[in-house]
Amino acid sequence: MRITVDHDLCDGLGQCALVAPEVFSLDDDERLVVAPDPAPELAGRVAAAARACPVRAIAVEGA
Amino acid sequence: MHEVVVVGAGLAGVRAGGSLRARGFSGALTVVSDERELPYDRPPLTKQLITGAVAEADIRLAGAEDFGARWVRGAAAVGLDRERRRVRLADGSELSYDGLVLATGARARAWPGEVPAAGVLTVRGLDDVRGLRAAVDGGAREVVVVGAGFVGVELASSLTELGLGVRVTLVEPFARPLRALGGAVSGLVAGAARRAGVELRLGVGVRGFRSVGERVGGVELADGQVLPAELVVVAIGMAPATGWLVGAGLALPSGRVHCDERLFARTAGVAGVTDPRIVVAGDVAWCDAVRAADGPVPLEHWSNAAAQGELAAGNLLAGPAAAEPYVHVPSFWTSAFGLRIRSVGLPGTGDRVVVEEGDPDSGKLVEAHYREGRLVGAVSVNLGRRLAAYAGRLQEERAGEPVPGGSVA
Repeated sequence: MRITVDHDLCDGLGQCALVAPEVFSLDDDERLVVAPDPAPELAGRVAAAARACPVRAIAVEGA
Repeated sequence: MHEVVVVGAGLAGVRAGGSLRARGFSGALTVVSDERELPYDRPPLTKQLITGAVAEADIRLAGAEDFGARWVRGAAAVGLDRERRRVRLADGSELSYDGLVLATGARARAWPGEVPAAGVLTVRGLDDVRGLRAAVDGGAREVVVVGAGFVGVELASSLTELGLGVRVTLVEPFARPLRALGGAVSGLVAGAARRAGVELRLGVGVRGFRSVGERVGGVELADGQVLPAELVVVAIGMAPATGWLVGAGLALPSGRVHCDERLFARTAGVAGVTDPRIVVAGDVAWCDAVRAADGPVPLEHWSNAAAQGELAAGNLLAGPAAAEPYVHVPSFWTSAFGLRIRSVGLPGTGDRVVVEEGDPDSGKLVEAHYREGRLVGAVSVNLGRRLAAYAGRLQEERAGEPVPGGSVA
């Protein structure tokens, strides 16, 4: 599973972190942090997190 | 299922269409919209679109072109005949269905009294934003925004940010802006608005409008004062677009479509009966799965429209017996005057608010809202990183809740 975040689009809204908190989180300045190498069984949640992004900043391959 | 009709082409409708195809529906799919626009996203309208930070092309809803639907645009649905399974359109034509998604959303609430012929606007759709920008670009500098809810506050912020010298007065009959969020947020927003040059008139209602010729010239407040105005934006909430469903035999509490926990529309009359061919999604839904202490509450949030659109479509295809319940922690965001505000759960429904991180003086905080000792929601200002943890707690509390009807999940 390969996760790509377009940081120009990402506005730190954190909707992805609500859906898949194991993989997506915000730092103190509300910037997005993505965990490396998420477990394959999280693929469904990662895909849902990408769909939950209002600005479509997250792309997932192999999920 | 061979013929599905989706009424409404906002986020909920578009997600429903995409979800139908993603789940293998290969029949005829028709999407009906009373707007002529291609489907677009709503949150940027009052923020980045009005300031010009994004263009119209940037707010098109992704995926709407991809699911092979027949689009009927600029056509309002005006009636529903559930027995014959037909949706009637304004031009008199009818669409037959064996599955129907109701996603007509809401309209801006109009001012309940008389308004001058020109210069008083509401903002809900793309056309409204074009009209507002045109008025400002055409020289309107004295702008009165009536209502300090989310739309009013976002617009006041955006108009101030334009750098065109627009003077904004924000009028709110309640004592606080964004009062739905409770706690310290209102005070932070009020302070930030004042620092940005917005004049706040809180705790005073609007009695009516003054005209100069056909145009608005002023706003008369309940205390008799008249504010000069070249342009007025009325932002007093929204009304669900369900007028076309009156008489269809569906339950319409508060004007929304009542649906069960699996998003099937409840019928009027006999309690507990749903129409297995009709699902509901988005602002128009009054869903049994979205509850505060005293019953279902409407949600007018982006994330709710997206999630309900997807699930409604899946459940329509699966049928009531195999359908899944809607499990969703509400989440919401807004930004204005440099404050980035996020919430999870239903913060307005608590009886106690605790600042659990940061503090109002620093402009960064997380507030938790409790009701009878149980977490019901959380709000962050410029400190969103902990909200995921609160969302997790809300999900766990929900899982332990008694299910309406007596059994325990």
